Amino acid sequence: MTQAPYIEEYTIQAGDFTAIGEAATRFKSTLKMLGISSEAVRRAAVVAYEGEMNALIHGGGGTVKMTIHGDHLVIEVTDNGPGIPDISLAMQEGYSTAPDEIRELGFGAGMGLPNIDRNSDSMTIDTEIGKGTTLRAVIRFSPREAAARAV
Amino acid sequence: MKIADILEKMETTVYSPGDGEKSIDGVILGDLFSFVMAEAREGWLWITIQIHLNVSAVAVLKDVPFILLASDRKPEKELIERCAAEGITLAGTPLTSYEAAGKLYSMGVGGRS
Repeated sequence: MTQAPYIEEYTIQAGDFTAIGEAATRFKSTLKMLGISSEAVRRAAVVAYEGEMNALIHGGGGTVKMTIHGDHLVIEVTDNGPGIPDISLAMQEGYSTAPDEIRELGFGAGMGLPNIDRNSDSMTIDTEIGKGTTLRAVIRFSPREAAARAV
Repeated sequence: MKIADILEKMETTVYSPGDGEKSIDGVILGDLFSFVMAEAREGWLWITIQIHLNVSAVAVLKDVPFILLASDRKPEKELIERCAAEGITLAGTPLTSYEAAGKLYSMGVGGRS
């Protein structure tokens, strides 16, 4: 039986650093409530957290959306920021364009995109200079978990 | 080692007691959130000098039950409140991160063996 996907979406307000991790925390609660394996929950939490942080630091706010399907989930982060001029550079561990005052607070370590990539089964970035960026990360459930969810 | 035992053996100020019966299986030391998000494991103790609210968000997401603030850093009120609400142990120590890590290691907490 195919179930309709479950969708949860939050707005990330520009400049609200204290709120980083709120969407990720809510996603985590939802996934735990749905009985998703702790491995997938952990990966989704990292992806959502880093996505929120990127949208806030670099994108001036945006949205973060989680869609749960039978055998996988998708986390999509959209911002209306300046876009990423060089994605391969942004993917390099340690490379960051975050300002010093943000880095001193523990953010902007240049590990966000690599962390997202490592914790997802596939990741795509659509970016346009001056328009914004949409990141889409897919996390697949284990075959056993997907089968259990299909019942 | 249980959180209560660690608190007893170290010089700490407890801001949020959390669950003293929980056992600590490892320790991570870091002030960059993305590093901690990548490397921390469930049930670990986290030593940091960051003191703002977002510390608790990382702890919640990574199931870290114990945050230890080094170098006598005083937590912001919002961080204390959130740790209390989430049942996370939040304590401060006058020891530096290096000294706190050394002390925990010598106590047998979370070494890789």
